[in-house]
Amino acid sequence: MAMFSYEFMIRALIASCFMAVIAPLLGVFLVIRRQSLLADTLSHVSLAGVALGFLVNINPTVTTLLVVIAAAFILEYLRTIYSTYSEISTAILMSGGLALALVLMKFNQGSKGMKINEYLFGSIVTINRDQVIILGLMMVFLVLLYILFRRPMYVLTFDEDTAHVDGLPVKLMSILFNVLTGTAITIMIPIAGALLISAIMVLPAAISMRLGKGFNQVILISVGVGLLGMTSGLVASYQLDTPAGATITLIFIGIFLLIGIGKGLKSRYAKKLK
Amino acid sequence: MNYIKVENLTFYYGDEPVLEDVSYHVDAGEFVILTGENGAAKSTLIKNTLGLLKPAAGKATIATHNIDGKPLSIGYIPQQISSYNAGFPSTVLELVESGRFPRNRWFKPLTKKDHDHVKKALLAVNMWDMRQKKIGELSGGQKQRISLARVFATDPDLFILDEPTTGMDETSRGDFYKLLRHNAHDHDKGILMITHDHEDIKQYADRHIRLIRKEDSQWRCFHMSS
Repeated sequence: MAMFSYEFMIRALIASCFMAVIAPLLGVFLVIRRQSLLADTLSHVSLAGVALGFLVNINPTVTTLLVVIAAAFILEYLRTIYSTYSEISTAILMSGGLALALVLMKFNQGSKGMKINEYLFGSIVTINRDQVIILGLMMVFLVLLYILFRRPMYVLTFDEDTAHVDGLPVKLMSILFNVLTGTAITIMIPIAGALLISAIMVLPAAISMRLGKGFNQVILISVGVGLLGMTSGLVASYQLDTPAGATITLIFIGIFLLIGIGKGLKSRYAKKLK
Repeated sequence: MNYIKVENLTFYYGDEPVLEDVSYHVDAGEFVILTGENGAAKSTLIKNTLGLLKPAAGKATIATHNIDGKPLSIGYIPQQISSYNAGFPSTVLELVESGRFPRNRWFKPLTKKDHDHVKKALLAVNMWDMRQKKIGELSGGQKQRISLARVFATDPDLFILDEPTTGMDETSRGDFYKLLRHNAHDHDKGILMITHDHEDIKQYADRHIRLIRKEDSQWRCFHMSS
């Protein structure tokens, strides 16, 4: 295809494949732990980190990482206070993060406005070689962590009381998971954009949970759906000249709807046969 | 040998004391039942015992090793197990297999012995044929059975069971109590079970702990003159 005669498109495709593994691998755990909004929350909080970076003239990736790690700790604390209403903690942090970002941006008016926009909407086609390498390393790291810790994570995700009784360090694992999610989001934000990160993390997980039976099966299907949505979204955005992140998200939503309709028709047909 | 030792434990929900100066113990080879009215804080006592809640005063200790000197393993069934994480994407088999993980299998492959334990546990609750079913598709009673199977698969030294017989018929309950007694007396397991069924169970349990509410009645008059 002509689009792959451009080096930037090849880089974008490789980055998409890496993110197609990273995002669902974390997303499945987020969805099951009823923290679907965590990715969205940390994306908003990370904007405060970006704005802080521009304000104090430090690499925004560094300040974002620090802010997101702090947010991960605060989030876990709030989650224990509002244990039966975990969405309250995400709502508090999300609004707090966005408010802080807006205030910091006010102090920082002028030439940096454009860059904040990049973080809001992302620009996968402007990804550079270093960003692709960092994404690749992150993917390898996450896959290794998953292979190593999939059993403790399975029990933790199933039920935290059971995990505690089984001898797992529940609090530490939860905080480390949030920090890991935050780090992945920090890396992906300039590429996918804060507004679309959540969709990329949650939708493949939501789709695979409708299709898979077992836990490992759901993880594998979510990565497969991630790869399908990311690559086809990228190609479609090139052909249609539409924003890549938004196109990818719409494709995921399309797959989600198709699966829903297909499942509905299948169960109706099965009932008729009975 | 004490598997559980609770000394002068006090616990508050907010400013309200719900457990005051509670002491009890459960030994290896002993089948102990814990009863009390609704709201007597039986589940709260168990959660304090397991370290899931932090007491305001007193101490709850669970032995670190069993009577053979090996690390002690615990099998816990919480109350209302049927409402747990209904959308959790797992098969029955995966969930029951996870009962073997605390047996030093977090990072090692399951052995033939582990798989045999899992099969035996699923057969014991009559759920072997449903092992490939998604747990979200099971009824409340079936979820209760697989949570029992997970505990059986662990083959724990200490069973802590919070009303595990809810919904069981009389015959099943009797057989279940016999099985617990057999485990305590013939395999030196420690068993602590919350139950409302203290008449049926009297002949099987070794000891009966009764939690008593301070107030005379949990029911208060709601009449208002209009």
